[in-house]
Amino acid sequence: MRSKLRKELPLHLMLLPGLIMIILFSYVPMAGVMIAFQKFIPAKGLFGDQKWVGFDNFDYVMSLPNFTQVLWNTLFISSLKLILGLIVPLVFAILLNELASNVIKRTVQTAIYLPYFLSWVVLGGILIDILSPSGGIVNEFLGLFGVSKIFFLGDNDWFPFTLIASDVWKNFGYGTIVYLAAITGIDPGLYEAATIDGANRWHKTWHITIPGIRMVIVLLSVLSLGQLLNAGFDQVFNLYSPQVYESGDILDTFVYRIGLLDAQYGVATAVGFFKSIISLTLISSSYFLAYRFAKYRIF
Amino acid sequence: MNTGTGKGPVWLKKASILLLSALLLSACSGKLESGNGKQEAAASNDPQASPAAIDESPLGKYDPPIELSFVRDLSDVVENNVLGVLKDETIDNNRWTKLYEDQLGIKIKYNWIVKGSQTSDQYLQKINVTLASGDLPDVTPVNATQLKQLADSGQIEDMTALYEKYASPFTKKVLSGEGTSVFDAATFDGKLMAIPALESSIERSMYIWIRTDWLEKLGLQPPKTMADVLAISEAFAEKDPDGNGKKDTYGLGITKDLWGGAMGLEGFMAGYNAYPNIWLEDGNGKLVYGSIQPEVKKALQVLQDMAKKGQLDQEFGVKDGGKVSELISAGKIGMEYGEQWNSIWPLQLNRDNDPKAQWQAFPIVSESGDTPKVPLKFSTTRFFAVKKGAAHPEAVIKLFNLHLEKNWGETAEFDKYYAPPEAESVWQLSPVTPYPVTKNVDAFREIDAARKAGDFSTLKGEAKTIQEKLESYASGSTEGFSLWGWERIYGEQGSMGIADQYIKNDQFIQEKFVGAPTPTMVERKTTLEKQQNEIFVKIILGEPIEKFDQFVKDWKKLGGDQITQEVNEWYAATKK
Repeated sequence: MRSKLRKELPLHLMLLPGLIMIILFSYVPMAGVMIAFQKFIPAKGLFGDQKWVGFDNFDYVMSLPNFTQVLWNTLFISSLKLILGLIVPLVFAILLNELASNVIKRTVQTAIYLPYFLSWVVLGGILIDILSPSGGIVNEFLGLFGVSKIFFLGDNDWFPFTLIASDVWKNFGYGTIVYLAAITGIDPGLYEAATIDGANRWHKTWHITIPGIRMVIVLLSVLSLGQLLNAGFDQVFNLYSPQVYESGDILDTFVYRIGLLDAQYGVATAVGFFKSIISLTLISSSYFLAYRFAKYRIF
Repeated sequence: MNTGTGKGPVWLKKASILLLSALLLSACSGKLESGNGKQEAAASNDPQASPAAIDESPLGKYDPPIELSFVRDLSDVVENNVLGVLKDETIDNNRWTKLYEDQLGIKIKYNWIVKGSQTSDQYLQKINVTLASGDLPDVTPVNATQLKQLADSGQIEDMTALYEKYASPFTKKVLSGEGTSVFDAATFDGKLMAIPALESSIERSMYIWIRTDWLEKLGLQPPKTMADVLAISEAFAEKDPDGNGKKDTYGLGITKDLWGGAMGLEGFMAGYNAYPNIWLEDGNGKLVYGSIQPEVKKALQVLQDMAKKGQLDQEFGVKDGGKVSELISAGKIGMEYGEQWNSIWPLQLNRDNDPKAQWQAFPIVSESGDTPKVPLKFSTTRFFAVKKGAAHPEAVIKLFNLHLEKNWGETAEFDKYYAPPEAESVWQLSPVTPYPVTKNVDAFREIDAARKAGDFSTLKGEAKTIQEKLESYASGSTEGFSLWGWERIYGEQGSMGIADQYIKNDQFIQEKFVGAPTPTMVERKTTLEKQQNEIFVKIILGEPIEKFDQFVKDWKKLGGDQITQEVNEWYAATKK
């Protein structure tokens, strides 16, 4: 037993950097949550003589007329992103898997994976240019078909969908590769047996491929549910403007403006804390549901 | 195997608990230590703290030189029109930093520089983070709210005695050019906590800038009432003033920020007796906030109609001044409300592209045709706060002294340090930029008198430099071409002539609240202002006008009522 421990010790030690990072960046900052209950003056320090105000900051946030709107936007944008972000790469992976030519398969795979590596700062700039109603390539193109100009980033009807579509476009390459990897793991014997039994492509997809990668689908869903209230600060921040706050402002950008621009740290922390609690509830329940219906546990 | 795996986690658990608590402890104690350490460091920060001798005269020199750290914004104007044309000067090393070092022995150092204006998000964010981290430079330019927070937390020096002692008589005269209000705004519990960067209120006067070549082309007259303004706007948008056969011009230029010295809406709203963003007296000696008055609703309705008819750029809600100025320079906009200097920026850009473009400032007009009131916001919004424990808290006052002296004093070299022909805004390279509040009107009056007398030999200082610019422009030379903007300010048809007329007619309506921000203002003002602008932009772009009533209701509920009460308490106290 001792020798086993000695043998495994290096493996445990490899956990250490990760553990330290989690403690430093995820647990230590939790002390900052108390700012949500204070009238916080930064100069006095985190443990300084701050005035405690109970739930005042929360009351204030709830009374802001746009808070419900912001909450709704966050949920709307992120749930659509979540659903499409699961379905699009799945469908794409299955279709890609059916391709006979390995060269085309790899080329497509690489091409769709590319935007995943660009930051939203870069992509934001590109999108603003190509989506502009005055001379942007997308509107010029639509114009050829007689479609009148669409102000994708300035029109409240369009903005959320621009967000969702561009997010899915940026990230589906990554999901596709995960699914493709999972598909590769399926025993080819199953397909052969099915072919002998007279199954066509559709039958094989439905009865072998999808059940075969069910675990991966559930895993990715559970992981992304925890992100439900993270509708994507980087993206929204780089694309939005006051004109589309109504439809595009999300909790994170809201916190940014209250906290860093208006310097109301107490209120901003209250919103952040509120968000964390809901996220915790969501991920716990999704985890529970995943176990209940797919017998899947991460831990 | 079983026992092995059973024991392993227990051992691990213990170890990780130990590790966790050790880390937490060290993290906490680390924080506390660094908290204490910071103050000590602040006190002994300056390496030259002890040896530098203080020459106590207002323009005395430090020997050996001292270092004074600042933070600053870098506007487009400074970046392109100043540093862009001055080959050998940088923001860290230029004629102003050299002057301060040579004459005062003060080396200017910037801890950070952010591109954009003092009100841009980037700058606000950076300065808020700087204030929150407590890692202040020696001198921080802050707004009224930030100043109050700094004063409350005891991070800055009391400047009362220092100002008395080190400010030159000229500086004192200039800074009190608008009475004591600017000092009241920086005084807490009887202590002056920062040096106010006095801004002239009269300079905030609004004018209508109109492309007169378009007016002539379409056979229109300068406006006398708001109806005329709307007619001009309609004609500019509909009747193809640029003659390219396309409907691609707009009547009125406005930005997403709605207010401000160029392409702002203050002057337009004043035409409907609406005075947003400022505190005014109602009939009963109480102060009320301009933005929530019914007149604003009416003006918004008019703007909404203009937007519906395509007289406003539908994309204005995402365009800041820089973006709208691109439209102006491309000749797509024919009218904008702004201050006296708009001809230099952005209108000169249009002139550069199209030498036939001609703009002129006109006095703002009212709906009824009566002489309208010109709203003047209390415009001193920046204060220079000195970090507590800075080695030489008085140094910033010396910078004030020298800046004023070199531009308007006995030894002034106005055409070197303020506005040399090659780079008009060179004065902005200085970290502090005080100026006499009526300097522009004064210069205009001197030039105008000389013009009428036909004798320019009596002019000196600023007036002389400006007159040289006017002559250079009149000569039609290539260098003179870029001085068109100045002719539009100080020439016979210049905006300053209208300022003079405003003053003579006593047309101004001054903001009545000039104190330090009230407690609720500190907390709620920015949020309220942002909400206001958001809703106004939306209404202009077509949301139902009833949203305005909702806005008023929300404004009151979210702290507006509280602020109004505090403002009135202040007003009652100061009137006594």
